[in-house]
Amino acid sequence: MRHSHRVGITAAVVGAVAVLTASPASAHVVPSTVVELDVHADDITAALTLPADDLATASGIDVAGGGTLADDTRVAVVDYLEDHVTVTSDGGTWQVGIDDVDSTETEQWGTGEFPAVTATATLTPPDGADLRTFTLDYDAIVHQVVTADIFVVLRSDWAAGQVESARSLGAIELDTVSGTVSPLTVDLDDGGPWQGFVGMLRLGTSHIAEGTDHQLFLLTLLLPAPLLAARRRWAQVAPTGRAVRRIAAVTIAFTIGHSVTLALGTLGLPVPQQPVEALIAVSILIAAAHALRPLFPGREPVVAGLFGLVHGMAFSATLSALDLSGEQLALSLLGFNLGIELMQLAVVLVVLPPLVVLARTRAYQPLRTGAAVLTAVAALGWLLDRVGLTTPLGSAADVLGPASPWVVLALWLAALLTLARSRGLPPAAATDPCAPRAAGPTTAEAQRVSSAPERTGS
Amino acid sequence: MEPSRTATPLRLRRWPAAAAAVAVAVSLTSCASSEDSDDTAASSSSSSSSSSSSSSATVAAGSGDVVALAEAFVATLDDDQKEALNQDYSFENAANWSNFPNALLTGGGGGGGAMPGSSMPSGAMPSGMSGAPSGGAGGGMTSSTGRVGLQTDSLSDEQWTALENLLAGVTGSAENEGFDEILQHLDADDHLADNGGGDDYGRGNFFVAFLGTPSDSGTWELQFGGHHLALANTYVDGTLAGATPSFRGIEPFTTVEENGDTVQPEQQEAAAFSALLTSLDSTQLDAATLSSSFNDILLGPGNDWAFPTTSEGLVGSQLSDDQKALLLAAINTYVGDLDDASAARILAEYESELDSTYVAYTGSTNMTEEGDYIRIDGPSVWIEFSMQSGIVLSGAHPHAVWRDKQTDYAGTTS
Repeated sequence: MRHSHRVGITAAVVGAVAVLTASPASAHVVPSTVVELDVHADDITAALTLPADDLATASGIDVAGGGTLADDTRVAVVDYLEDHVTVTSDGGTWQVGIDDVDSTETEQWGTGEFPAVTATATLTPPDGADLRTFTLDYDAIVHQVVTADIFVVLRSDWAAGQVESARSLGAIELDTVSGTVSPLTVDLDDGGPWQGFVGMLRLGTSHIAEGTDHQLFLLTLLLPAPLLAARRRWAQVAPTGRAVRRIAAVTIAFTIGHSVTLALGTLGLPVPQQPVEALIAVSILIAAAHALRPLFPGREPVVAGLFGLVHGMAFSATLSALDLSGEQLALSLLGFNLGIELMQLAVVLVVLPPLVVLARTRAYQPLRTGAAVLTAVAALGWLLDRVGLTTPLGSAADVLGPASPWVVLALWLAALLTLARSRGLPPAAATDPCAPRAAGPTTAEAQRVSSAPERTGS
Repeated sequence: MEPSRTATPLRLRRWPAAAAAVAVAVSLTSCASSEDSDDTAASSSSSSSSSSSSSSATVAAGSGDVVALAEAFVATLDDDQKEALNQDYSFENAANWSNFPNALLTGGGGGGGAMPGSSMPSGAMPSGMSGAPSGGAGGGMTSSTGRVGLQTDSLSDEQWTALENLLAGVTGSAENEGFDEILQHLDADDHLADNGGGDDYGRGNFFVAFLGTPSDSGTWELQFGGHHLALANTYVDGTLAGATPSFRGIEPFTTVEENGDTVQPEQQEAAAFSALLTSLDSTQLDAATLSSSFNDILLGPGNDWAFPTTSEGLVGSQLSDDQKALLLAAINTYVGDLDDASAARILAEYESELDSTYVAYTGSTNMTEEGDYIRIDGPSVWIEFSMQSGIVLSGAHPHAVWRDKQTDYAGTTS
């Protein structure tokens, strides 16, 4: 399933650490220190993970074996780390603050679980000094345990447009020939507000592109848009102009809804993660029910707007996890939202035209029913998943995303074929049931569907 | 099939859209099942190949004998196996050894997840990971495609025997050393496979490679290795011109029974180091004590030609004759892994350099506890032994490397 992005980012970092500490042929199955940098507007935070046993050996502080740390132990670790982390640049010596000292169990490539001590170092350059080029003089543990490795990872760098991918900056280790440990020179790519904005725009588009649940809600709500309700059934085909206006109204209402809560959530409105994710699944379920039988005909924009509020709360989790402020926050909000809208618009433009065309064929009824039922099943799977009941449905629903390009292709081919036929093609093409069709089902399957009872209410 | 011509266009018109609906259903179910079977990537390497029959091929081998034994082994192989066995002689291939189980190098196991081809364990990565961090960090990283050569899981009993004859021909015949040590290493890895290590461990996960063609002219290397073991004999114009880097680690370090054999390799090494250290008086011991700590050896795989310019510890000229004998005995637990003639030749050279050979250690003098570390650092010889925490089993286990400052890889540096 598409996890909340806070979880996603955390998991990505764990993955990055697994990559970066793999260092296969150098063959340490020995735990290593990992330093993960988050570059902010005015300072850099470094998340430190230190193998507890090595830290104990190097510092003499009793942290071996892990477990809860006593207050004086934490203080001792802070003092030790402050002695072994120095940052300098052309601007001078940076201020280094250590806090959040804690203990945990972690795992790296081939190490198995091991106790570790974590801490956050806040690295602040002198007033106004550039923070994109600096020397990290870090020798905690390795000053004593000379076989230790320290891997430095750039976890996020807003100004370079890098917020969701980690990359290695290098390793700090003993040079065996000279017996010295050299500081690591960090030279980050040029960055600025524009790169940051573009990075957030990309994040927004990928968020929707990968967010099958968001797409599915909107598309399912739009599924009956080309139809008119009569006697609690989807009956006649709406005039094209009216269908397009309804599609636009629903899309705009959804946009307004999620923009409002995206902004509020990012600016600090607390978002209860799990209920929001579950409500999103509910929203898809309701949209699917509506696609089967009109529940609120004509009021789709209202529903889209209301549930848009819920979807926007989920979007905001991505931004608040980045812990931004000031100009970066404003540009992020703008860029991320714009990215979401652009991708959403693209999805609507890609999927709706063939649906409007196919709505005029008898096939639309089984198509709409089939899609709605499938969506309902997927939504149910997500819902169960998100309230803590793992079922095969949840993971099955997750493959809707990867499958969607093929479904879209099938829809377009079907629509084009329909248009071609309505304009009268040569008889040979028109009567050959095996003429090239959408990828996927066999002729037999298609025939089975086609021989289903005639739809009602036409 | 169609009852009337007029119905035809209508029916036909329905098909494409219905097809799309079915396509959704089909893709849903098929993708779901493929996801279920995703994590069965680990190759099932049988560990049931012939167990070592302790064949007593103890021929002291000149190079000509080695070439003959190598050719005899090749003669038992099929074409695919030969292709895997025969590799180019290059520094890249020669330096591509490791103490890791091969699955950990290629990403098939251990830490979990698959590492397809590149150095990116994408399988180990959660789906939220969009941008790929480029490559790995850290110096000394040479490859993530695993060892080159022929994997031992493909060997028949006859082929195993031919391989063992070859290995016996290039290794020493003393108990618990040389050839016997290798057989015990294979048993030890079977023991790990049987005791929580799983399919990534066991005698089927070792690799033999000929870098270059075995011949009495030109350069070729016999490479045999796997988890905790690397043998690297380089022959130049018919002479053993380099017998290192030679890696010996072992888990379990305690004595166990496996495949009917008693497994206790590397205990003699620890005992020899301990005998040397405990023979030192307190002044000597102080001089030998390193101030640094070690959780592994310094010059493991990938750290080639990186010997310290300054030697640390107690210099050999400060040792009594008895102590020098103990130092030489400790060195011989590595050099003695070679065939007797080669071992005698190299040991004599190291003996002539004993006065300027340093001994340095940290931890306890038992060399059995985690953090214990000893180094022998001479003009030519370089031996490191490090006790570290268990991986598959609990309890400390050693990693050790024997290098030669002149003849590692027969002097090939790049």
